Amino acid sequence: MAEREREPHFCAINDPSCSQGLQAVWGCGNQFFVFPGKKAILLNERRPLLMKEETIREVKWDMDLHRPVLRKLVNESHNVFTCLQEQAKKTSGAALHPHIIRSSKQYRASLKAYSLELKILADSTIDEEQKQDFLDHLQLLEMAELIWGLCEILFIDSPAGGLVIAPLLEWLRFHFQTGEQMFLEIIREEQPEHHPLYWDTIYRLVLQGQAEHVRRLLSLHSSKHSKAFSSMDELLKKMPQHTQLFRGHSIAEFDMKWRHWRDECERRLEEGEFSSYGNLETIGKILTGNDEVFSEFRDLCETWYHMLVSKLLYQNPTIKGFDLQYHIQVCLDEYRSNTRIGELDNILLSALEYDIHQVIKDSSAVFSNWWFVAHLTDLLQHCGQLDSHKLQFGSNLREFLLLEYATSLMSHKSLWIVGVSYLDHCPEFGRKYLEHFMENISIDSEKKAQKLLHICQERNLAEQAKSICKVMGRRHMQHKRLGAALTWFLKSKDVALSTVIAERFLFEYSEKGSFSNLDLIDNLGPSMLLSNRLTFLGKYREFHKLYEEKEFQAAGQLLLSLLQAKLAPKQFWVTLLVDAIPLLEAQEVIFSSAQTFDLMHCLEELMREFKDIDVREKEKLALLRLALTRNLSRAIVTEGTVRRT
Amino acid sequence: MADTRATFVSHKINKIRWRQQQKQSLQESDVFASGSWDDEQNKVCLWKVERQKVQSGEMDDGGGKGYVESDPVTLCEAPHRGDVTGLEYMGQDHIVASSSTGTITIYKHHTNSQTLGVSQQWEKVHHHYGQMCPCTCLAVRDDVIVSSGEDGRVNIIQVGHKTPNRVIDKADSSTVNSITFLKQTEFVTVNSTGQLKIFDLRTNSDEPTQTLSVTGELTPLQCIDKHPSQAHIVATGGQDGVLGMWDLRHDKFPVSLMEAHSGTVWEVRFHPTAPDHLFTCSEDGCVWHWDGSQVNATPVGMVTGINQITGTGAGSGGGNLSTPRQFQYGGSAVATGLTNPWLATDIAKNKIEITSLLDQKSLPINTLDVAGHTLLCGTDGETIFTMNLGSLR
Repeated sequence: MAEREREPHFCAINDPSCSQGLQAVWGCGNQFFVFPGKKAILLNERRPLLMKEETIREVKWDMDLHRPVLRKLVNESHNVFTCLQEQAKKTSGAALHPHIIRSSKQYRASLKAYSLELKILADSTIDEEQKQDFLDHLQLLEMAELIWGLCEILFIDSPAGGLVIAPLLEWLRFHFQTGEQMFLEIIREEQPEHHPLYWDTIYRLVLQGQAEHVRRLLSLHSSKHSKAFSSMDELLKKMPQHTQLFRGHSIAEFDMKWRHWRDECERRLEEGEFSSYGNLETIGKILTGNDEVFSEFRDLCETWYHMLVSKLLYQNPTIKGFDLQYHIQVCLDEYRSNTRIGELDNILLSALEYDIHQVIKDSSAVFSNWWFVAHLTDLLQHCGQLDSHKLQFGSNLREFLLLEYATSLMSHKSLWIVGVSYLDHCPEFGRKYLEHFMENISIDSEKKAQKLLHICQERNLAEQAKSICKVMGRRHMQHKRLGAALTWFLKSKDVALSTVIAERFLFEYSEKGSFSNLDLIDNLGPSMLLSNRLTFLGKYREFHKLYEEKEFQAAGQLLLSLLQAKLAPKQFWVTLLVDAIPLLEAQEVIFSSAQTFDLMHCLEELMREFKDIDVREKEKLALLRLALTRNLSRAIVTEGTVRRT
Repeated sequence: MADTRATFVSHKINKIRWRQQQKQSLQESDVFASGSWDDEQNKVCLWKVERQKVQSGEMDDGGGKGYVESDPVTLCEAPHRGDVTGLEYMGQDHIVASSSTGTITIYKHHTNSQTLGVSQQWEKVHHHYGQMCPCTCLAVRDDVIVSSGEDGRVNIIQVGHKTPNRVIDKADSSTVNSITFLKQTEFVTVNSTGQLKIFDLRTNSDEPTQTLSVTGELTPLQCIDKHPSQAHIVATGGQDGVLGMWDLRHDKFPVSLMEAHSGTVWEVRFHPTAPDHLFTCSEDGCVWHWDGSQVNATPVGMVTGINQITGTGAGSGGGNLSTPRQFQYGGSAVATGLTNPWLATDIAKNKIEITSLLDQKSLPINTLDVAGHTLLCGTDGETIFTMNLGSLR
């Protein structure tokens, strides 16, 4: 917030190790990290430890957008934003324009809705400080709405024929509601004319061009039947309305009507029709656009821009938007004495002077969040109002501001997901930003990991997707949840790490003689083909199942094919060969002579390669050799028998 | 199109549940609970929907839309440590919530003072041997809670006891994503490798009594719901956006897999009193209404008839529907021959009408619940959608 930026915040760090000096590095978004140190260090540079105990402190500051009420604004406006971007993809130019106007109105409506909510909150809060806080925010929202409203009239809506007085009057009525409120109060009075603000209210309404309301109030006056009152009533009734312009009247026609009407006002005023009632005479002076009378009502107008619109309504009702700027100075001068020109005035001034970039620039400074400028600029860009402007850096102004806004959302624990959506609409740098953010979002649960993964997959961020799977898999490995780890590695088709897990499973088996995670291994299906080791694991487990089901023939064939295909790691051959012993010793002959030779070949190869096999294993292998020879003899005999019969 | 209301609530919703109706009450429930996730401070909130009667003449189509709903308003809330990963009503005013810190909490809704307080808590019943582990789901039946988590553990908790009655340490090698009761003593889990496991509390074994699975790729199943009247029919939603229908009586594999959403299906629910209607919500930001009530408009005999017609390659979609029409009324008396629409043959499935309930895609929709005429959804866009579905048959 602008007000707050002027008074710096102090936050003392009571740490003796920091007495030497403080260093800081930026974190993500609205935070940085401070730590003791004198000399600035570069990225990736190792910094020597200065003292025994050093702490890194995370410093964060409050973002107004992170408040509950404003979070609603963030989400609601996000919907409006994405809706418009969708439309912009489909259509452009004149066809898009109605959508832009609708979006602009929706943004303003949500600003208004949440101002109301803040107002209710502020009214119901007892705590003074919190109340003030709500009121501060409320003020900012109202200011945003005021500026937005003006920009909508001047840059987005561009009314028919460039005539701006009618929408400007509406804008005024929306923001200066005292007249309207007083009106409602006074008509309920028993004797309205004795209300102390009776005439003030009438003047206010006249200044806002609300002829009907004025007539209503005048009709409540006790002397309403006097000639002066009915004359005024007639004048107000005859006052040409801007709405006629939209009903097919040409500007020239309207202008002529207006002139006639003003001539009549002047005539009646000069003829002294109102001379017996000073108040009515004043109204008459307003209607004729008398300069002095406006100066007199400086306080009722409250601000220079109110006066500008009121004055032009009666002096120059068919003024075009571009000519507004020539009338500002006079009104400003009226207010020069009591207040200095504030930030809001400057922004409105720039808007009236059609200096869009100045409006955006000043607004960025006034509003501490990027919400306002990002959304407004997006609309202006779609209207083609920003085409002429080039930035010296980055992409265009729209993208620059959207990136800033998205970044501020990404730094929030929860709103990051909205930020992602905004980055999607930044054609040039959005993707790069997203890549960086995806790598830095903390993952607390599988659900969040899945969501991040989905975001990456939708946008083809293969590397980031892989890294998320790796992080999750590794985490499960740390917790000794090998099955869960494997599911993540399979997801990212990570051959290396799946192999590691498969090896762990095999190791576990050779240690304990049984498998864990059977529910997973038995159901690997085609995903076992990812890595050789995994295939081996799956097949080896299949061998066990066949063996348990006493399908010895099939088991034997599978075992042999595992050895022949060299799928098994060499270290595991001993286990496999030992597994063959019971099959060799089975009642019926399972391995043919040729197959037995193959097994013998494997055994020899193993003996050749591993000279230093320990004694126990050697014993087992000797047993195997015996079994092999016995099987060979049996096989030869049976094979011979078969041939003879 | 459903009549939809969006309420912005300033926190991302992960679970949403209607309060159960009071027994013998004809009135629809108007109170629901929501749980937030992925925020600095998460919370469990209770909401109330005001319903206003409307003169039946004022509405275009009277029927069930005899009232207008207003935006839900907060009744009360309570802070919750960690993400709310599971949320269920237990009776009228107790709410059980599971947390990503591995803890299960029962909150009591004090209706007199409209406050929400912790009534019982089981800390860190899910853990990686001392280290934190998220609990991912829970289910409630009477006063028994079952929960599971990323540790693959299942806890069976009896309310009133200080520690879980029974812990199945190695219920699953991968993460269990959802759990639900089938019967008093049977519950079913779905996991990250596409398996569905049924456990029976009466046996002493820690092994599941039945395991079913999707063949092929190991696509995680994310959610499960049981048919309200036929306990052997369950629906699952997968990470690939597929809706699966299972008949637990015979097959080891799903009866059908229907490609639906373009992102994870986060929740699937049968309508509790109109079970021919099913609802799914997804990461892709859509809520779908699956209307199977037309499937049985044709008797089964006719369905096989259509099968034969397509066998000869005679008709396209339109033809299939028009042929049986002529027989429809004659056969409508054969009420006993009707199959459940969700187990119907492929051709009959063409008659399942699918409608998307939101006109515009929203941010991911994490949860939904339906009761009576009203469907609730909670999203990552910090929005609760309240949809009036009208009357369902």
